[in-house]
Amino acid sequence: MIAYNKDWLDAILTKDRAREWHEKGLLSDEKWQAVQERYHSNFYSPNLFIRIGLAIFTLILLLAAGGLVAMVIEPNSEFAFSIFGLFCGVACFVFLESRVIKTGRHRASGIDDMLLYVSIWAILASLCVPLDYNTPALVYFIIAWPFLVAGSIRYLDRMVAVAAFMCSLAIVLLMVKEIPRLAVYLLPFAGMLFSAAVYIFSKQGQSRYAWRHWHGVLLVLELLALATFYASGNFWIVQQAGEMWFQLDQVPMGWFFWTFTFVVPLAYIFEGIHSKDRHLLDIGLGCVAAAVFSFRYYYHVMPLTWAAVICGAVLFLTAYFSIRYLHQNGGVYTCEEDSETSLLQEIEEQLIEQAIVNQPGPTPDKRESFGGGQFGGGGAGGEF
Amino acid sequence: MHEPILHNLLQQELIVPEDAEKITLFESKRPFSLHWELKTLLYLGVLLLNIGLGFMIYENIDTIGHAVLIVLIGAVSAGCFWYAVRHREPFSTGEIKSPTPYYDYILLLGCLTFLIMEGYWQYQYEIFGTRYGLATFIPMVLFFALAYLLDNRGVLSLGITLLATWLGITVTPQELLSKNDFNNAAIVQTGVFLGAFLTVVPFLSERWGVKKHFSLTYLNFGVHILMISTLAGMMALGQTLLYFLVLCLSVGFFLWYARTRNSLYFLTVAVLYGYIGLTYMLIIHTESLNLGFRFYLFYFVLSCAGVIIFLSNYKRFIKNDQP
Repeated sequence: MIAYNKDWLDAILTKDRAREWHEKGLLSDEKWQAVQERYHSNFYSPNLFIRIGLAIFTLILLLAAGGLVAMVIEPNSEFAFSIFGLFCGVACFVFLESRVIKTGRHRASGIDDMLLYVSIWAILASLCVPLDYNTPALVYFIIAWPFLVAGSIRYLDRMVAVAAFMCSLAIVLLMVKEIPRLAVYLLPFAGMLFSAAVYIFSKQGQSRYAWRHWHGVLLVLELLALATFYASGNFWIVQQAGEMWFQLDQVPMGWFFWTFTFVVPLAYIFEGIHSKDRHLLDIGLGCVAAAVFSFRYYYHVMPLTWAAVICGAVLFLTAYFSIRYLHQNGGVYTCEEDSETSLLQEIEEQLIEQAIVNQPGPTPDKRESFGGGQFGGGGAGGEF
Repeated sequence: MHEPILHNLLQQELIVPEDAEKITLFESKRPFSLHWELKTLLYLGVLLLNIGLGFMIYENIDTIGHAVLIVLIGAVSAGCFWYAVRHREPFSTGEIKSPTPYYDYILLLGCLTFLIMEGYWQYQYEIFGTRYGLATFIPMVLFFALAYLLDNRGVLSLGITLLATWLGITVTPQELLSKNDFNNAAIVQTGVFLGAFLTVVPFLSERWGVKKHFSLTYLNFGVHILMISTLAGMMALGQTLLYFLVLCLSVGFFLWYARTRNSLYFLTVAVLYGYIGLTYMLIIHTESLNLGFRFYLFYFVLSCAGVIIFLSNYKRFIKNDQP
């Protein structure tokens, strides 16, 4: 199902984990070396900057090559144009599969990414060109859906996954919009339901070992689902959509949406901190900003400058005092980038305690090997 | 998700059970770091405060409140500087770790409020008269001094921006293209010299052993100012050959830098700017030949293929000293 070599993908997963353990002093150098030798991946995955450069030049090359083909074929009807697009898309696709991924062993190199995008785009364009001018938008989304979903599954691509998610959401909303009379009430809840379903799906998918290669894709879906769940009930969005699609002056059940606008971000933040879920917390913080903007759009309680100064001061002071508090009160939460030193010491102590309890005899040796050898090196070293 | 990996490693006897025990304990006790979130909030706070204060002062210019405001802003600025000086670490020519997590942000707030206050004085009381250069020169000197004394790269960037402003260019990367009038030869020449100067500074500091970790900040400003100025010289001034030569030299220099210092960022940036310059040269010099659209499409296909082959073999280009 996946275009890339699965053993190599697994090797990368294992190596990433082991690297972290090694960096934190939990794995000795020899063992880390052994893991690296055993788990070897042959992918061509260059550094981010090279990837960006390769993607830019691949795009220019593909556009120019497409232009050359077009000058030779000279498509002059809609049908010919459609065939031309299909040809280009399929050519890119075949090249991607056979040359770039199979023999070139590319993975996230910029070339495979760009070929995938151009290929999907060309095929979709070729399928949509022959459509009539007044074809409903829904049809376009339904045509695009299978390609986007298949692309994100087979190539583990997060950008395509974003497009697939947006496409699915658009299909759901456009279908609900056609329900006579009830649409205006159902739309926000349809958005919320869809987002909640995607959220649960991605959360469960991430905990499945069999789906480990889609972890990144599912993570993106999780973040998007959280954001669209909030957007579905945000007063500003509901009001604007009602005005645009149904010419409504008043939002029905306005009190509900106002409550939603303010309660959901706080709930995200609270739950994020409580269950140590970074994604909930981060999206929650973003939603607070959205809530403030929504409120200001309708109620100008104070001039913009005052609002900026007060918000800035509140943000600064909140962060300042939180950092101070976390600094003085260690524990589960921390404001350190990496607080593995103290944690490692704690683990060390616990293990030594256990060792003392279990086998009183060789305690001094154990202590020495833990303290002096592996922990001392990793924890107190200057790598961080 | 770490359990299956741990299990596999154990099965293959790549790790011993004691290691596995440590790792399991570590994963279960992993603390939840709020570092990134809190730093973002601090930064947004500083930014919003400055935007708000900056606008507020100009809105209230003729009211009684403005005296209070200016005193308030001055107090904030002074307070921040006082904090920064009081809590500073002893000076060193190497890298200094921030004494507190919010230290850098307080210093940044101090610098930005200082700029607002200084700008207001100039606007309202014309303390520097029409010597506008002086109005940017004073904060520039202050910021460079602070950046070196307190070891802060954010303030250094502010200082470099002011240096460029003082030299007649408003340099913030996004605004570089939109705000400047590149038809002015003086500005382009200043840009070339400033870019070259900023590129040379890191080599001097490395030789003297002063703040070597500032190199990347200098080079980053240097490469973009230098390349954009030479491209502007080619396109807007029409002195194509002269500036193309300068562009080739700078691209060559940054390729050399990328090769010897393993910097893939400068490799990509140099290739991109070089490609733009080369393509522009080709297009304007073949204009009179009426080669047709097809020729250019061929050029793009072949040249891009060449660049892709070059970039994707970066490992052979970069001199890797480490095994």
